Amino acid sequence: MKIILDGIEYYAYTASHEPNPDLETVVFVHGTAMDHTVWALQSRYFAYHGYNILAINLPGHNLSRGKLLPTIEDMGDWLGEIMSTSVGKALHLAGHSMGALIALQAASHYNDNANQGAPLRSLSLVGFSYPMNVAPPLLDAAKNDPVKAYSMMTQWSHASKIGGEPNPGFWSPGMQMSMMKNSPEGAVFTDLNACNNYVTGEQALEKITCPTLFISGQLDKMAPAKLAVIHSQKNDLAEITMIPKCGHALMSEQPDRVLAELKEFIGKNSSQP
Amino acid sequence: MGQSTKTRFDTLALHAGQIPDPVHGARAVPIYQTASYVFKDSDQAASLFNMERPGHAYSRLSNPTTAVLEERIAALEGGVGGIATASGQAALHLAITTLMDGGSHIVASSAIYGGSHNILQYTLPRFGIETTFVSPRDIDGIRNAIRPNTRLIFGEVVGNPGNDVMNLPLVAEVAHEHHIPLMIDSTFTTPYLINPFDHGADIVMHSATKFLCGHGTVIGGVLVDRGQFSWEQSGKFENLSEPYKGFHNMSFDEESSQAAFLLRARREGLRDFGACMSPTTAFYIIQGMETLSMRMDRHVINTRKVVEFLQQSDAIEGISFPELPEHPDYHIAQKLLPKGVGAVFSFTLKGGREAGRKFTESLEIFSHLANVGDAKSLVIHPASTTHYRMSKDDLIAAGINEGTIRMSVGIEDIDDLLEDLSRGIHQSRKARN
Repeated sequence: MKIILDGIEYYAYTASHEPNPDLETVVFVHGTAMDHTVWALQSRYFAYHGYNILAINLPGHNLSRGKLLPTIEDMGDWLGEIMSTSVGKALHLAGHSMGALIALQAASHYNDNANQGAPLRSLSLVGFSYPMNVAPPLLDAAKNDPVKAYSMMTQWSHASKIGGEPNPGFWSPGMQMSMMKNSPEGAVFTDLNACNNYVTGEQALEKITCPTLFISGQLDKMAPAKLAVIHSQKNDLAEITMIPKCGHALMSEQPDRVLAELKEFIGKNSSQP
Repeated sequence: MGQSTKTRFDTLALHAGQIPDPVHGARAVPIYQTASYVFKDSDQAASLFNMERPGHAYSRLSNPTTAVLEERIAALEGGVGGIATASGQAALHLAITTLMDGGSHIVASSAIYGGSHNILQYTLPRFGIETTFVSPRDIDGIRNAIRPNTRLIFGEVVGNPGNDVMNLPLVAEVAHEHHIPLMIDSTFTTPYLINPFDHGADIVMHSATKFLCGHGTVIGGVLVDRGQFSWEQSGKFENLSEPYKGFHNMSFDEESSQAAFLLRARREGLRDFGACMSPTTAFYIIQGMETLSMRMDRHVINTRKVVEFLQQSDAIEGISFPELPEHPDYHIAQKLLPKGVGAVFSFTLKGGREAGRKFTESLEIFSHLANVGDAKSLVIHPASTTHYRMSKDDLIAAGINEGTIRMSVGIEDIDDLLEDLSRGIHQSRKARN
């Protein structure tokens, strides 16, 4: 689906559904140099089970036009606009990795907007850590040798180096490498740099008033789960799920488990039957 | 964070795609010889069929044993995924029917496997898909053969029968200038000798019957997608970029920015044409792939020694082997195939048909049959077997002489192979006299 904001065309995957104003909407946000398809094995299910979905491409990524945005705050503002203008009687927000930071940022400011759209009922932060410091060698590679950065991220994102893909016929490290190679020039550095420079996450977390679910991979090297644990303990509305034998590519490494957690969490925070 | 180390070829060949059996702990890949799978509930069943969740619903679409093979070949080729098929021919057919409709056009190398030539030259035109054949060495010819309705450029890394080596980077450049994918049959070379994706190919196919399996036991094929070709931007592939009524208006390119081709090939091609691989076949191919690098090294070493031996014989008119400096593709072979060009080559015996017939019939270790890529050495004399109805002139037009022998060198003890060849050459001399 095309979404026009300030004359710029952005893209959100809806699984070929027209948004229904009588349904709640789940917004999925991807991470660094990725696109909506990282949520393929979760978003499509929601679209066929009583929700609108918007699996967005961030500005400048894949099918979305516009420039890459340099900070999490900018991307959060953009996401807030998408949320405000989306069709649906309530919203649920789910982000992965950098997308989790963006979702957090957008959610923390969503109530500031007097003209806000549908109420935000839940926030799911998958593969989240704060701070999301990026190792200097990775940041350097992202700037000067992007393919090396793609390779580093691909290796670090998967708990297993030999696969055993739940989705028949696919090689998840190959999918990630290919997706990053297809990302626009400069995206990997811009996105990683935004993660590295995001310093207001603590305040954002304090402002969250909706139920929040952290989903972490026990073996996540990109966003260490222990940081998600610490933050989950600070908020009475937060809960955490730790997925064993899982790295940072949670949605492809353990798609059914991530889906089950989202289904339960979003379901219990939904007003829909 | 630790070192960013990619898992290496030999480890992937043994492990990629397999998690040891969580129920019984089986170390080998279990053969899931089943047509279907018990659903947990109706919701799971519906979501499996609708691609909302991963998993297996029916073995024509996917199977856990076959999926290990698909993931493993994708890992070895550096692709995003793979599809196993009933044969190499089925893989070629699946790729073509996924990418094009009646009215489409293919530019193919003229130096390809006879079975591929048959489907392109004779069978597909019945369904409105035409092919123009061009020498793989004629880059301008390939460019000039492209029409507005061309949807694919197809060739082999090492072709038939002259062992022509396609200049993949140049052909890929031509293909991509015209927003057309390049599909490469890498059967003779395997991912151990070359990854065509590194040289610009977009889709790779194998007859897995050959070196991947390596033991001449089963028939199978595989397709691997690099995931880098933009079907939407090309503007030529509505099958992948527009809603498909046959699958809930799914736009495959939207559903998977990296694997639209594989999705449609599986969800339409395997579903409707049904040329899937059996799990037992997949098991044999997986077993073969575990030793791929060791076998290929030995194949290459033995082949070089056989070629060296034949070069010294006065009974040989010529040898077509791209590692020889006099071969027209010597330089590109050195560049693309530094580990070796493989184990299949041809040579021409003096003495024509009768010499060739005597030669093949007198060999003992080399098996006289129509196949390549077995661990055992194989030989065939086209003029007295596969092409026996053809006149001398027709043979020459097909790039074959009356005395041409095609050989697939195995991994036996080289001294036994050379003794066997000595016997054959001796008999061929007698036929000349």
